[in-house]
Amino acid sequence: MNGIQVDINHLKKGEVSLGTSIMAVTFDGGVILGADSRTTTGAYIANRVTDKLTRIDDKIWCCRSGSAADTQAVADIVQYHLELYTSQYGTPSIETAAAVFKTLTYENKDALSAGIIVAGYDDKKKKGEVYSIPLGGSVHKQKYAIAGSGSAFIYGYCDKNYRENMNKEETVEFVKHSLSQAIKWDGSSGGVIRLVILTESGVERLIFYPDEYENL
Amino acid sequence: MAGLSFDNYQRNAFLASKTHSNLPKATSTGTTIVGVKFHNGVVIAADTRSTQGPIVADKNCAKLHRISPRIWCAGAGTAADTEAVTQLIGSNVELHSLYAKRQPRVVTALQMLKQHLFKYQGHIGAYLIVAGTDPTGAHLFSVQAHGSTDVGFYLSLGSGSLAAMAVLESNWKEDLSKEEAIKLASDAIQAGIWNDLGSGSNVDLCVMETGKDAEYLRNYITPNVREAKQKSYKFERGTTAVLKEKIIDICEVEEEQVLVV
Amino acid sequence: MKSCSGKTVPPPPLPLEHPSAMSQPIEHQFNPYSDNGGTILGIAGEDFAVLAGDTRHTTDYSINSRSESKVFDVGDGIVISANGFAADSTALVKRFRNSLKWYHFNENEKRLSLSAAARNIQHLLYGKRFFPYYVHTIIAGLDEEGKGAVYSFDPVGSYEREQCRAGGAAASLIMPFLDNQVNFKNQYVPGTGEKRPITYLSVEEVVKLVRDSFTSATERHIHVGDGLEILIVTKDGVRREYHELKRD
Repeated sequence: MNGIQVDINHLKKGEVSLGTSIMAVTFDGGVILGADSRTTTGAYIANRVTDKLTRIDDKIWCCRSGSAADTQAVADIVQYHLELYTSQYGTPSIETAAAVFKTLTYENKDALSAGIIVAGYDDKKKKGEVYSIPLGGSVHKQKYAIAGSGSAFIYGYCDKNYRENMNKEETVEFVKHSLSQAIKWDGSSGGVIRLVILTESGVERLIFYPDEYENL
Repeated sequence: MAGLSFDNYQRNAFLASKTHSNLPKATSTGTTIVGVKFHNGVVIAADTRSTQGPIVADKNCAKLHRISPRIWCAGAGTAADTEAVTQLIGSNVELHSLYAKRQPRVVTALQMLKQHLFKYQGHIGAYLIVAGTDPTGAHLFSVQAHGSTDVGFYLSLGSGSLAAMAVLESNWKEDLSKEEAIKLASDAIQAGIWNDLGSGSNVDLCVMETGKDAEYLRNYITPNVREAKQKSYKFERGTTAVLKEKIIDICEVEEEQVLVV
Repeated sequence: MKSCSGKTVPPPPLPLEHPSAMSQPIEHQFNPYSDNGGTILGIAGEDFAVLAGDTRHTTDYSINSRSESKVFDVGDGIVISANGFAADSTALVKRFRNSLKWYHFNENEKRLSLSAAARNIQHLLYGKRFFPYYVHTIIAGLDEEGKGAVYSFDPVGSYEREQCRAGGAAASLIMPFLDNQVNFKNQYVPGTGEKRPITYLSVEEVVKLVRDSFTSATERHIHVGDGLEILIVTKDGVRREYHELKRD
C-alpha cells in the first residue's frame, strides 16, 4: 500500500464541489431518488437551488456527489453512450447504465472525484433498482443507497427505518425524513429537497422547501 | 497537434524553481459579472476594471463577449482565457448553425464550452455567465473553469460575486420587466464596483429579448469619471535633454538646378 | 527593509523532495502581519511641510473603512504617519505620543525638535528589530531653523531627512512623479543643456501636487481611494485639508 497511491478525494483548487446529501430507495412500484440542492466553493454557496438528480435515460436517473464538473461530464458521457446503445439494442437495463458509469469512474479513478448513485425503473422486470458507485469505481446493487458528506449522519436512521415493500407515499416520507436529518447535521448540504419518482406510469418530480422539511 | 501547446510548461516550472525571478503572470479580471432573466428575455452585465495584482491594468476593458448575434457571455477569471474560449466557441457555434441550417442555441454554446473547459481540467481559467435567446426561448447559465455548469434566474461570478449576489438575493423577484431586470443587474454590478477592490469603473450591459436583436450597451453607467487635475503638466519644448543626435541617410539625394525658360 | 549593499538576501533554495505535499506533514503557523493598503506622502517646503494620506483601510479585496485617518498631529508641530500594517501603525504612533508626553514631563514642557523626534522613532522601531513594526513611517514639521523638514523611516528604523517621500501601497507610483515635479529630475532648461535648477515650491503648488498624486494613485491602485487628508505644518501651527477621492 505504501507504493502507488492515488488521491481520489482531492478536489482541484477553486473547484466547485457537491458536498452533498443524496439517496435512492426502491419501493413497491418503483424507485425514488432524492437530493439536497447545495453547491459550494469553499465556504461560499455557489448555487442554493442545484439539481443533482440527472436524467440518463427516460427511466434511468442518477444522484451526483463529489466534483460538480466531473460528475456532470461523466453523466453527459454515459447519456451519450446509452443513446448509442438504445439505437442498436433498445432500452438499456439499469445494470447496463451502472456498468457504463463504473467503467468511466473505475478507469479514470486517478482523475475523478465522483460518487454516484444510479437508479431506475425497469419496465420489463416491473421493478425499481439502485446501484451505488462510490469513489473508486466499484458497483454495489442495493435496496437503497445513501451517499455524499451528509449521508454519514443518517446511516443509523436509514438502517432503522427502511422497510422493504413500502408504498410510494411511505417512501417519499422516508426519503424526506432522512434527507432532512442529513441536511440538518451536515453544513455542506442544504437548500431544497428534490425528489424524482420513477414508476410504471412515468417520471414525477417533487420539491420540498425548508419550511416543509425542517420541522418534520 | 490540435489544441493548446504545453511545450514550455516543464521548462517554465524548472526556471521558476531554479531562479528567483518572477515569471510574468496573466492579467486576471478580478471582476463582477451578473445575469438576470426577465419575462421575455435575459440581461447580462459586467464592470470594466482589469487588474494585475493591486495595479489597475485597464480602466475600461470590455468583459461582455459575443458568441453569436443573440448569445452573449460575461467573463471572469484569466482575461486571455475568457477572450480565447469565447471566440473559439463563437466560431464553432457559427459553423454548427450553418451546418444544421438552424439558429444557434444557448445550450449548444454551453455544451461546447463545458466540454472544452473540462478537457483542460481547470487550466483554462475561464468563468463565464452565458446568456441569450434562441427559438427555444431565453436562457441563462454559468460555466466554471473546471467545466461545471449551473442554471438560474439570477447568477453572479467573479471576485465581486458576493457583493453582487447580496443585491440579487435581496431584490430579485419573479416575472421582472425588462427595465426592472436592467436596474437589478446594474445595481448588482455597482455593488461590486464600490465594495470589491477587484472591480471598478463602469457598467457594461447587454439585453437579449426573445425574437429581437441583442442590445449591447457599452458603458451603460459611468459613475467613475475622473475629476479635472489641479495643475497642467505640459512641459516647455526642450525640457527633455537631447543626449545624442545622429542622422542616417536612407537614400541618396541628388540635387540639380533646373532652369525655367 | 533597506540594505547597504542594495541587494536583498535570496531565499534559501527549495528542498529537493517530491513536489507533492501529499502524505507529508503540513506546518501551520500564525501570521501576525497583514497589509492594510493605503498610501502616504510628505513634502517639505521652505517654511512649511505637508504630510498627506488617504483614508481607505483594506484587507485583500475588501474595504474595512472609507474614513480611517492615518496622519496625526501629535503636537509640538510634528505630524506623523506610519503606513502598512495598521495595527502596528496605531501601536507605533501611540508609543511615540507616550514618549513625547514623558519628554514634556521630564524636561519641563520643553518643545521636542523634529530631529529629536526622528531619533526617538528610530529607537522605537529598532527596539523591535526581530519582530518589526510592519510600517513605512514618515514624519514632517519644521526644523530648528524654521525650514520645512520630512524624515522617513524603514520598518526597523533606518532613517533619512528628505525633501519629499511617498510611502505605502502606491509609493512606487508617486515617487517618480515627485522626483520630476519637486526635485525637477530629468528636466533641463530649454536650449542650454543645463539641469533645471531646484527652487522652493509654494504651499499652494505643493498641495496641488499632493492632490494630483493621490487622484492618480486612486486611478491605478486598488488599495488607494475614498478620501485624502492633508496636514500642513507652518510656524502658525497645523492646518487640515480634506478632499474626496474616488470610491471604486
